[in-house]
Amino acid sequence: MTAPNRLTAGLDVVLRLLRNACLVVASICLVVLIASFGWLVFGRYVLNATPTWVEQLSLLLVGYITFLGAAAGVHDDGHLGVSFLRDGFGPRVSSVLRSVSDLIMTGFGLVMFTASTELVRFGWSSQLPMLNLPEGMRAIPAATCGLLVALFCGVRALRRMLGDAPATDAFLLENL
Amino acid sequence: MGLVVLLGSFAATLLLGVPVAFAMGISAALTFWFEGLPLLMTFQRTISGISAFSLLAIPFFIFAGELMLHGGIARKLVNFAGTLVGHVRGGLGSVNILSSMLFGGISGSAIADISALGSLLVPAMKERGYRADYAVNVTVTSSIAGIVIPPSHNMIIFAIAAGGGVSISKLFLAGVVPGILMCLCLAIAAYVLAIRHNYPSETFPGWRAVLVAAAESLPGLVTAIIIIGGVLSGVFTVTESGAFGALYALALTGIVYRSLSREDFRLAVVNSVRTTAMVMILIGFAASFAYLLALYQVPAQLSDTLLSLTQNKILILLMINLMLLVLGMIMDMAALILICTPIFLPIARSLGMEPEQFGIMLLVNLGLGLCTPPVGTCLFVGCVVGRIRIEEAVRGIWPFYIAIAGALLLVTYVPAVSLGLPGLLGL
Amino acid sequence: AEEWRGWNIHVEEYPVSMAWSALAELVEERTSGELTAKIFHSGVLGSQPDAIEQLRLGVIDFGVFNLGPMGQAVPEANVTLLPFIFRDVPQMYALMDGDLGEAIGEGMRERGIVPVGWYAAGARSFYNNEAPIESPEDVAGMKVRVMNNDLFVGMIEAMGGNATPMDFAEVYQSLRTGVVDGAENNPPSYESTNHFEVAKYYSLTEHLIIPECLCISLKSWDALTPEQQEIVTQAGQESATYQRELWDEREAASLETLGSAGVEINEIADKTAFQEAMAPVYDAYTADNPDMAPLVEMIRSAE
Ligand code: NA
Ligand code: NA
Repeated sequence: MTAPNRLTAGLDVVLRLLRNACLVVASICLVVLIASFGWLVFGRYVLNATPTWVEQLSLLLVGYITFLGAAAGVHDDGHLGVSFLRDGFGPRVSSVLRSVSDLIMTGFGLVMFTASTELVRFGWSSQLPMLNLPEGMRAIPAATCGLLVALFCGVRALRRMLGDAPATDAFLLENL
Repeated sequence: MGLVVLLGSFAATLLLGVPVAFAMGISAALTFWFEGLPLLMTFQRTISGISAFSLLAIPFFIFAGELMLHGGIARKLVNFAGTLVGHVRGGLGSVNILSSMLFGGISGSAIADISALGSLLVPAMKERGYRADYAVNVTVTSSIAGIVIPPSHNMIIFAIAAGGGVSISKLFLAGVVPGILMCLCLAIAAYVLAIRHNYPSETFPGWRAVLVAAAESLPGLVTAIIIIGGVLSGVFTVTESGAFGALYALALTGIVYRSLSREDFRLAVVNSVRTTAMVMILIGFAASFAYLLALYQVPAQLSDTLLSLTQNKILILLMINLMLLVLGMIMDMAALILICTPIFLPIARSLGMEPEQFGIMLLVNLGLGLCTPPVGTCLFVGCVVGRIRIEEAVRGIWPFYIAIAGALLLVTYVPAVSLGLPGLLGL
Repeated sequence: AEEWRGWNIHVEEYPVSMAWSALAELVEERTSGELTAKIFHSGVLGSQPDAIEQLRLGVIDFGVFNLGPMGQAVPEANVTLLPFIFRDVPQMYALMDGDLGEAIGEGMRERGIVPVGWYAAGARSFYNNEAPIESPEDVAGMKVRVMNNDLFVGMIEAMGGNATPMDFAEVYQSLRTGVVDGAENNPPSYESTNHFEVAKYYSLTEHLIIPECLCISLKSWDALTPEQQEIVTQAGQESATYQRELWDEREAASLETLGSAGVEINEIADKTAFQEAMAPVYDAYTADNPDMAPLVEMIRSAE
């Protein structure tokens, strides 16, 4: 194994851990979401007393599921996209175009991270109704997603420059 | 000028292969920056775009579908469909379509439909001598019926995009006949091809077997009755119905059937997270994108242009359908519902079309887009399940496209197809 | 010349929207076309809380906001959300045009918002499908839909009812099927949403009299010349007077429609019992927000 390959192999492990962490947190959020809605239905129809926090908590949880799950999707290259043009030019051009696309995503991820962090700060003094939590908490998963997207795509572009193409294409087949 | 930046950067990033959701986010961010507006607006719109209360039904529907898949309910449905229609010529094709109709009545997710039924039926069909592309095409195109047969999370996205004034109950009912009609059109196409390829038929197992299989699949079908019944009777809200349906499916597979292992449960949760995130991030970034379209008053301008070309209702609806078909080829359903509804719904309304009929037309049209290259989620997943390449699949898909297009024309020009059932029930 | 972007949640024909278009015309005329406005109606630029954020960021230049959602960003605005704090609508006008409006406006300016006129949104009253509400005891045991806010939940609980925060879109169906027994709103909303079809007792408790505010983004405000600021302030106040007239007409028309649709409307001559029942709500509020106590006192001691 060459030195750069050892480096990227190490990075791979770290990135996969981050991806898994995203999925674990998002999965817990989904389970909590379903459980709290079960509690809402039970409270409303059986106890005749609606728990007042469920609606707002659910909206918060969906944000965490969406952005963390989306970040994991970027790691796995699982989002929908148009690849016919990029891949129509043969492997060399395609590799360059993939790197360009990854670099754009890296830049966007950084923008998403800084702008969402600003949203967290901006919303920290406002209150989410019924939960007594700062409104800024809604933007935390977006900031996290931005940072992770930058990281995942940045490393992918870096690996290609080091001549060590990432094997993301085969992913969907083996994970269905 | 800002509009040029928005659309230009969107097209450029899309063609570079940036995922559709992010291409919308990137072009929106670039446009906000170009206009001298704060960049964080992009993400404020995104976050608030996914924070609509009725969108909460989406994870519930998706989770219910995943439980059906991993908890063995899908297998019981296929078995039931097999006893019922397996004996016609090319029987497994009809079984596939009928299964989709039943499964679609439970899950609102076409992708869950394909992975659930495709993984059961495509190998079985190949084994009985059906061509792989035929098996994949039947699976992929019939999954679209699940989008218009209630419940369907895409109907909820449409109701949100329409900005109130659309009754979910009426929309649910309006989808029933078009969904069955689509399945009939597809079954005809499948039958004609079966005769041509001389595909086999299965032996009829007798009415006793039909009844046994029906009884076995009944508890699974009750999930659909809970969700749809809850919404139609108004006892539950859509979101509550979705949650209740998911909890019922969980109890059924986990406690009654004991067919859901811990690993199955984990898979169902993680897959639901992935699918939910994929749909919701599209909705979020599409909200940013749509905000800018509204700021540039694109909907009003586009409808003025369209109406200045012609006043003929038939022609206008045809043009709308053609535009939607083109857009559906390159973009995904959820995003297009959010972007196209504010543009085309007012035009349709000015022609005297009810919003629910328009909604079903939109869903059938964009559903067709899910089966077409270059961006066709369903086609893509179907090819993965069937282990064939996209080029292989689309070579023989034309008869199925024609079948869906036929159903689309009926939905577009015959209001009774969608509005008849809700009308009968007084909605 | 400068074109301002305006945000409006209502449809074009609503009293707020009409007053507002009048304001835009006034400003355009008096600044000789230097300052024009493009108003986006029907909430196409987002929900109320989102738009408040956009206003503070300067993405939109002006808008009309209810002080309910405003309270999430501007704590001073929350005092107007205390149930039964205002005796009646005229008292609310007098206070908002005077010291109270000054104090809340101060809080808004600190957060990047300049108020230039206080609009009317009427008084919210209870409606239900069981029986007229005459006293707080009538609410006991009743499931009442309220807006997502601790104060409104506290208000129902103080009367022994079950508060049910719920998305507005779900209220009609929930009233019909008995998921909730009642809800509350001002007459035009109660009428235009057809909620009266499924809840025919309308009791004029007037428990919430929440003002609306014509607001300018501080960023856009600072870009104006002093003369232009003067013109905008003047026009803002004129449009408020006009809007209050339009509101009264609209409200009267709604009450008439409701009456002829067979809705049973009852007035409540003496609200003392309701006001006394709210003691725990006020105690909890002032305990959590001690710095707001002077504002509460200012309103309660007003004529
Ligand atoms: Na469905
Ligand atoms: Na497509």
